[in-house]
Amino acid sequence: MSTTPLIHVVDDDDSLRTALLRLLGAAGFEVRGYASTGDFLLYPLPDRPGCLLLDVRMPGPSGLELQAALQRQGVALPVIFLTGYADVADSVRAMKAGAVDFLAKPVERAALFDAIQRALACDAVQRTARQEAEQLRARFASLTLRERAVFDRVITGKINKQIAEELGIAERTVKMQRAQFMVKLGVNSVAELGRLAERLRRLSD
Amino acid sequence: MPTENPNTASRLVYLLAGCVLLLALSATAGETRQVLVLYSTHRLLPANLEGEGGLRETIANSVELSAEFLDYPRFSGESYAHTVTTFLREKYALRPPDVLVVGGEGALAFLLDHRTELFPQIPVVHMGVARSFLQSIPSLPADIVGVPVECDFSGTIDQALRWHPQARRLVVVTGAVTLDRKFEARLRDEVSRFQGRATAEFLARLPTDVLLKRLGELGEDAMVFTPGYFQDGAGRTFTPREAARLMAAAATAPVYGSFNTFIGIGIVGGSMPNFAAMGRQAGEIVNQLLNGAAPAELRLPAIMPTTLNVDWRQIRRWGIDEKVIPGDAIVHFKAPSFLEEHRNGAIMAAAVFLLQAGLIAGLLVERRRRRWAELAVQKQCSELAHASRLAVAGELTASIAHEINQPLGAILSNADAAGLILESGADRRDELREILADIRRDDLRASEVVRRLRTLIAKHEIERQPFDLNEAVSDVESVLRAEAQRRRVTLDIRLATTVTTLIGDRIQIQQVLINLLINAMDAVADVPEYRRTVVVSVANDARGITIAVRDRGHGIAPKHLPQIFDSFFSTKRQGMGLGLSIARTLVEAHGGRIWAEDGSDDGTVFQIEWPPASTMGVPSPEPA
Repeated sequence: MSTTPLIHVVDDDDSLRTALLRLLGAAGFEVRGYASTGDFLLYPLPDRPGCLLLDVRMPGPSGLELQAALQRQGVALPVIFLTGYADVADSVRAMKAGAVDFLAKPVERAALFDAIQRALACDAVQRTARQEAEQLRARFASLTLRERAVFDRVITGKINKQIAEELGIAERTVKMQRAQFMVKLGVNSVAELGRLAERLRRLSD
Repeated sequence: MPTENPNTASRLVYLLAGCVLLLALSATAGETRQVLVLYSTHRLLPANLEGEGGLRETIANSVELSAEFLDYPRFSGESYAHTVTTFLREKYALRPPDVLVVGGEGALAFLLDHRTELFPQIPVVHMGVARSFLQSIPSLPADIVGVPVECDFSGTIDQALRWHPQARRLVVVTGAVTLDRKFEARLRDEVSRFQGRATAEFLARLPTDVLLKRLGELGEDAMVFTPGYFQDGAGRTFTPREAARLMAAAATAPVYGSFNTFIGIGIVGGSMPNFAAMGRQAGEIVNQLLNGAAPAELRLPAIMPTTLNVDWRQIRRWGIDEKVIPGDAIVHFKAPSFLEEHRNGAIMAAAVFLLQAGLIAGLLVERRRRRWAELAVQKQCSELAHASRLAVAGELTASIAHEINQPLGAILSNADAAGLILESGADRRDELREILADIRRDDLRASEVVRRLRTLIAKHEIERQPFDLNEAVSDVESVLRAEAQRRRVTLDIRLATTVTTLIGDRIQIQQVLINLLINAMDAVADVPEYRRTVVVSVANDARGITIAVRDRGHGIAPKHLPQIFDSFFSTKRQGMGLGLSIARTLVEAHGGRIWAEDGSDDGTVFQIEWPPASTMGVPSPEPA
């Protein structure tokens, strides 16, 4: 998995798209251009850091429509809008939908790069969070059914004796399984375990 | 009814008596008054004719005027006087004159000599008699009255010397008979006054041919004065006027005379008694005497005034400065100026001319005012049309901005990219070249958008040129393409298959089309996307040139159809209601017509039509 950010540029104007691709390429980004929202959707999105430079008005579905579609699909690619005519209604709608920025063409290099940096930072944060969650989920998934049952009860604050009683097992067995999933989940204290449980709960929401 | 009135008969008698009395009175009153004029000289002497004219002018027509001529100096002597006396006495025995007028000194002298034999009791009026002559008569009877004259020889000579400052010789011409000698004597006496100013030379009693030769040899330093003469040195008789005429014709120097009858025969002029005035003066005295005034009681002027008479032609001939002519001089033969001659006509003509000029000026002012008003209207229309184009441009702001910012954005990014490439130090010339080419292309693209826009919204001189309607429509399409895209409306442009030429202002026609297209796009704004199409078709066939703009919107309510071209009528919330009104004005200014009708399936069709003959439509100045 490459870690070089990949910038996607969707603009129906060949000339502008080419220029943007050139600029971003010269700045050391990897770029990919699309002439329409349909084009973009046709290509599989690689799992790489990156962001999306999106023209607002295009023939066919607009940039705003693409943004909405991506969100529905759970694609968390940060979006920077570019527009030829800064319409207030459009910009409000885009920003509410979580766009990183709404830039008017012609866009200054500094402004564009700044927006891209923020988008990439945002992407990085999202990606990290996502990775951590993945790891957490994987660790959690490695717990045996018995261990899960003990875990569920530990995080609700029950003591070993109660758990043993509820599960109909020996208190010693509870202690052992508790030590085992603490190792599996990589936590050292009950407090840490509590935070982890909270994160897991949020992920599963 | 009265049958017999005793008074009637007596009244009749009185009436008859009255009539008889009146008739008798009128017979007495009707007895014609007689005036006899006795002239010294002969009948055709100009002085006599003028004097007679003056008399007849003054004396009433009812008075019978007789004239007798002694014909001096042709006839003279005792026996002649006796014969004339006898003749006159017998001739006028039955019709004696009531007043006798004597014309000239000869006649007065004759009368004084023969009065007792002729008309002893009859009052006498003298005319044209010199004061000096009257003074020489020992005792003039009281019933002989008149205003004496004085021939102002000195005055004439004095005036002449002033008019001819270069004259050093004063040539005086006189004749041979008594009257002539009298003048000669008097002149010899008077010229002494001019010693120092001029040397007097007398050409007296010369034969006429000799005289004329002498006069023809005079130089610039000479001037001539003559009272004329009755007889020359050779014994030939003349009237003074005739003699003066010959002299004036022959002389190489200006000739001055003493009598106003000389005016017009070639003499320059002179200070003269006026014979007509003498006649009038005598006539007035006659009238008073006939009215019963006593001769002794008449209050008469001491002397007939003399007047300075000049012949304008001679003034010019001798180059006399007209400024030195006294203002009271009577100028003869001065060609009257046009105004003097045709005063009334001229005044009429001038009045008519002035009236006409005034009328013309008025009409011109009116025309100018109307032109101003027309220009003002044109200007207003022009500004309205322009404002309407600006409003259209305003509606297109979003798409225009998009269209311009697109290439601008590309240019900026390309430039930035080039900067980064250069900073990197890598040798990527081909890429830089490509970038520059792209920048150039995008720059042109942006300026093309600006140019199109400028063409649309700039104020411009109205043109009247042939243009291809297909091209004009294609241009409109490119102006509106971005806007249509923005609104997600499909523009379907169907051009005519042949070249379609209109004459007029291309921008105005484009303005109309843009207006119709924006209206059509508005009309389809809230219909399902499959209906969001605007079709523009241009046709050029036997029916003429037509443009149809068809939309598939909700259509226009039938009650609104008749009003949509009216000013300030709009169904749009933000519409001013001027677009279609201006569109109609522009189309009509191009000789076409525009109307709206329901589309065949849905929506509305706007039609513009130029009949075949009017494809040469005359556009007016934006619009008029």
